[in-house]
Amino acid sequence: MTALVRLRLAGFLRTGRALAPVLAGLLALGVLYGGGQAQPAEAYGVSAVVLFPVLAWQTKILLDVEPDVQRRLARVVVGPARERAAGLLAAAVAGLGTIAVALVFPWLVGGVTGPGPGDRPLAEGLALGLWAHLLALPAAVALGALASRAITRSAGYGVAVLTVGAVTAVVLGLSRSAAPWLVPPVLPTARALAGPLAASTGVLLTAWALAWAAVALAGYVWGRRSRA
Amino acid sequence: MRLEDVWLRYHRRGPWVLRQADVAIGPGEVAVVLGRNGVGKSTLLQLAAGVLRPTRGRVVDRPAAVGWVPERFPADQPFTVGAYLAAMARVAGLPGAEADRAVRRWVDRLGLARFRDVRLPQLSKGTAQKVGLAQALLRPPGLLVLDEPWEGLDAAARDLVPEVIGEVLAEGGAVLVSDHRGETVRLPGARHWSVADGTVTEATPTGAAATVVVELSVPAAAVSAAVARLRADGHHVLRIRDHAVPPPATRPGSDSPSTAAPAPVSGADHSGPDPDEAPVPGAPGSDRSPDEVPVPGAPGSDRSPDEVPVPGAPGSDHSSDAVPVPGGSGRSGPASEVAR
Repeated sequence: MTALVRLRLAGFLRTGRALAPVLAGLLALGVLYGGGQAQPAEAYGVSAVVLFPVLAWQTKILLDVEPDVQRRLARVVVGPARERAAGLLAAAVAGLGTIAVALVFPWLVGGVTGPGPGDRPLAEGLALGLWAHLLALPAAVALGALASRAITRSAGYGVAVLTVGAVTAVVLGLSRSAAPWLVPPVLPTARALAGPLAASTGVLLTAWALAWAAVALAGYVWGRRSRA
Repeated sequence: MRLEDVWLRYHRRGPWVLRQADVAIGPGEVAVVLGRNGVGKSTLLQLAAGVLRPTRGRVVDRPAAVGWVPERFPADQPFTVGAYLAAMARVAGLPGAEADRAVRRWVDRLGLARFRDVRLPQLSKGTAQKVGLAQALLRPPGLLVLDEPWEGLDAAARDLVPEVIGEVLAEGGAVLVSDHRGETVRLPGARHWSVADGTVTEATPTGAAATVVVELSVPAAAVSAAVARLRADGHHVLRIRDHAVPPPATRPGSDSPSTAAPAPVSGADHSGPDPDEAPVPGAPGSDRSPDEVPVPGAPGSDRSPDEVPVPGAPGSDHSSDAVPVPGGSGRSGPASEVAR
């Protein structure tokens, strides 16, 4: 399966289609950090929100770059379960690359400040920032997979799924949302990082994000049963 | 491998593409899937290969290693031929050195050596099809599924397909192949599955269909001994003629680039073409009569007629007395005999 992950990553990187989401991500981060400086944890919380649709879009592009027949060839060679898993893994690896850029970026443009007296220590801020991004990644990969051509079969539906998913994640993630559980907790995580974070809140947000991703990925697996 | 009561439709409210398909194929067997365009041949092949999952029913005992040659190779990929095949060999689970060996073997075998560093989108259709064939064979397949494998191939490569099929069969693999151009006359002894109106039926081979006709040439002086030997082996000698000019229209079909090429392989099915697969006039094999099938310069002439899995398989003994090509040796040639 590692070989298939490598093949798909290579296909994604070599076609140059990886450039679009990377540029979009950099643009979003530029806007985000262009306004002023913030503490690392708080800044990274917002950065994870901004990157959520970018990571989902990147996943869709990675999965769609491979021609349908090549995806079916891979399915015949390694079996349906491993073919699906390899696509999701490749998307996760690509997402980790984007996250690494997002974590380094604010330091290059002076978007974050070091801790002052009474602030979180720097290491803790960085760790929480990494955590916030890693929480967004599985949900973004799942959303991108649901929007991929293998599931939606048409460019129009694909974009619709992606857009609706990204917009509702923001709209239903607002603090007065009626149904926050319907979407992954990207905004609640950002809000939690703006102030002191209780351990129980951290555990709850982690469980929420993983559960949402698990449900969405189950939908992807179910959808792919009849869609080769 | 068996398809048990397999039904398939592509959409929940869509029409059934296949209904109640019940077919089986065992190791060392080859089945030709026949049917008109759009009737569900590719669907049946993809169900067998494991690309599609039956809507109802199940596919059981599918071998672990399946090679699938799609109808059109997906050439829109940013890899060179060599890099793609190496990656596919690793995806198939071959370790590094073995993967390289397999790639080298099939690249050489299919004449892809000079395209090794060419990127897939730059390949011609036929060359891309060869890459599709190569990727299916990197790991010796227990089941080889070929969807119109002759499409776009040049004459030499066309002859290679039955040869490769013969090798897979000899190693105990099963082969499923679809064809609408009548090329499968090159696969004597194949079972015939016809797809029509969503159902798959296996044409039961009649006594005649179960045998094939092989023409071979022997030195005139040795003809009596050869006939006696063939009869002793239980073969039925149909006739003996004294000159080696083969009948005309060895490979008819003006649309075929192979018309002018030597045909090292031939064979014919006595049952004739399937009614649903009536070859178009001028298609290869369309006007062949079983008794007139020439084997011009056929390798494999040392094999007994009813054991020829795929004439032209490697390792066969090319007799120097063999009639070389259509339009070849004239009256002075060696005696030719037809055994059945």
